[in-house]
Amino acid sequence: MPKTARLRAEDLSAGYAGTPVLDSLTAAIPDGELTAIVGPNACGKSTLLRTLARLQPAGSGQAVLDGKAIHRQGSRSVAQRLAILPQTPSAPDGLTVHDLVARGRTPYQSALRQWSQQDAEAVARALDLTNMTGNANKPLEALSGGQRQRAWIAMALAQETGILLLDEPTTYLDLPHQIELLKLVQQLNRETGRTVAMVLHDINLAARFASHMIALKDGRVFCQGTPSEVVTEAVLRSVFALPCRIIADPVHGTPHVIPE
Amino acid sequence: MTWTLRIASLSVQISRRSLLAGLCLLALLLAAALLAVQTGSYPISSSQMASLLLGQGTNIEQMILLDHRLPRIAASLGAGAAFGLAGAMFQTMMRNPLASPDVIGFNAGASCGALAAVILTGGMMLPGALAGATLAAALVILLAWKDGLVPGRLILTGIGASLALTAAADLLISRIDPQTAADLLSWLTGSLHSRSWEDAARVWAGLALLAPVLWWLHFPLARLAMDDGIATGLGLPVSRLRLAVTAAGILLTALAVTAAGPLPFVAFAAGPIARRLIPGGKPALLAAAAAGALITLLADTAARLVPGVQLPAGAFTALIGAPVLLWLLLAHFRKGTL
Repeated sequence: MPKTARLRAEDLSAGYAGTPVLDSLTAAIPDGELTAIVGPNACGKSTLLRTLARLQPAGSGQAVLDGKAIHRQGSRSVAQRLAILPQTPSAPDGLTVHDLVARGRTPYQSALRQWSQQDAEAVARALDLTNMTGNANKPLEALSGGQRQRAWIAMALAQETGILLLDEPTTYLDLPHQIELLKLVQQLNRETGRTVAMVLHDINLAARFASHMIALKDGRVFCQGTPSEVVTEAVLRSVFALPCRIIADPVHGTPHVIPE
Repeated sequence: MTWTLRIASLSVQISRRSLLAGLCLLALLLAAALLAVQTGSYPISSSQMASLLLGQGTNIEQMILLDHRLPRIAASLGAGAAFGLAGAMFQTMMRNPLASPDVIGFNAGASCGALAAVILTGGMMLPGALAGATLAAALVILLAWKDGLVPGRLILTGIGASLALTAAADLLISRIDPQTAADLLSWLTGSLHSRSWEDAARVWAGLALLAPVLWWLHFPLARLAMDDGIATGLGLPVSRLRLAVTAAGILLTALAVTAAGPLPFVAFAAGPIARRLIPGGKPALLAAAAAGALITLLADTAARLVPGVQLPAGAFTALIGAPVLLWLLLAHFRKGTL
């Protein structure tokens, strides 16, 4: 069955100030899947995600959302269909979890429509999904790293979009919190049917949680498919220059990298 | 605790904290204004004031109250509010308390422009201030631009430009005939000496015209206080908002400088005071306007109370503001966040 994809990169080149990072890259974020984008440092993972979310300009080619170039669509209308959580986001001091999550409703609000019943319901749902209802009135800086990241994800969820992009959501978290967060993301993907794409550093965690993987090398897609199609000894040798063995994770059966 | 006011499908949110802080500031402003009306080289008591306002009292008292003290107070409040608004908007937009228009050269640019206008046309201070502030802003932004605007570069470039423009203003004033120059010299330190009703009306009319725009900007500005990435992801047109906030900051600064001279540190101090009163990442523009008005009025009243000399209010705001600026600069350097 061919997979549909509302969000795709077509022949996309992009980068920072004249240094091209993406090189005529074509890729699709399959609908309803949990996609992990992996690759070595500076391969363009983050640039791909940010350009797909119109946070960075496309040099040539285009990022397409719902059949139209995302950079040429109204930003507000895009924000009602696609949410992105950038890497290590920052918020002003004193902002409470509730107020942060409420800001996820921005694409539905204006100075004249600051708070509707739908806003209140969406925020309550997002807090509930991320298990943050009990922390709603705490200021962000009073939370642990894992809780803070859940609060940010709740903000993105309150946008109530079909597509959710996460740029290295596990940065600065210890292993138990990484697992907890990825379980939450997986649960969101499965239970709410959201399309999720995230950049992840850890191949083993990506293979364990993602249903679809895209491996990048030098600004191009090296290969993509299910974790067992992507996480192979040959791919890891070519993409990461890492000699390794792949075994089946004894608990989950997903491919597991053992570096030599 | 937050209340939502609804009219049909429209809704506005007010938090209890904002309301309380606003009422406190309003009470302080009223008290300061009352103090300012009554004190001075010719004290006016409350009973005298009441009869004066009813049209009684001597001519000299009438003149002191209606032609000198009241317009001066009205101009102080208006200029202070404009400074406070400009400061809070810029600080919120750049996410840095040091990035206030007076620190990064807008005040100096506006005063240069106003002086140039006086030399060229003999008046036209407001259009001159507007042009000067716009040019200064363009210069600072161009010099600080490197793949976008980073607060640290903007602040350091701005401080440099501010010094250069202040020197330029001193040069310009030497080109003005001594009679006018004497008046402008105290204005150039930031002074509200001999302000007329016309001056007060100009700044208040400007504020009234800008009020709807500022109120509209308040909402996206609170979201701009987060990452650019977050703001864009939430659907805000970040570059256009920056442009709008910069334009509003220039207008407000030009209005305030025309009325009160380049009064230092009012824009700089008002925002942090407002944010201390109303925490939670809100730009708190109304509170910043009130704080700016309060600082300016108190500084001007203090300046009037020193016997024997005509001290400019700017001397007082600089005395308090400069150490705070130094302290903030050092704190940012230590944290490595400049």
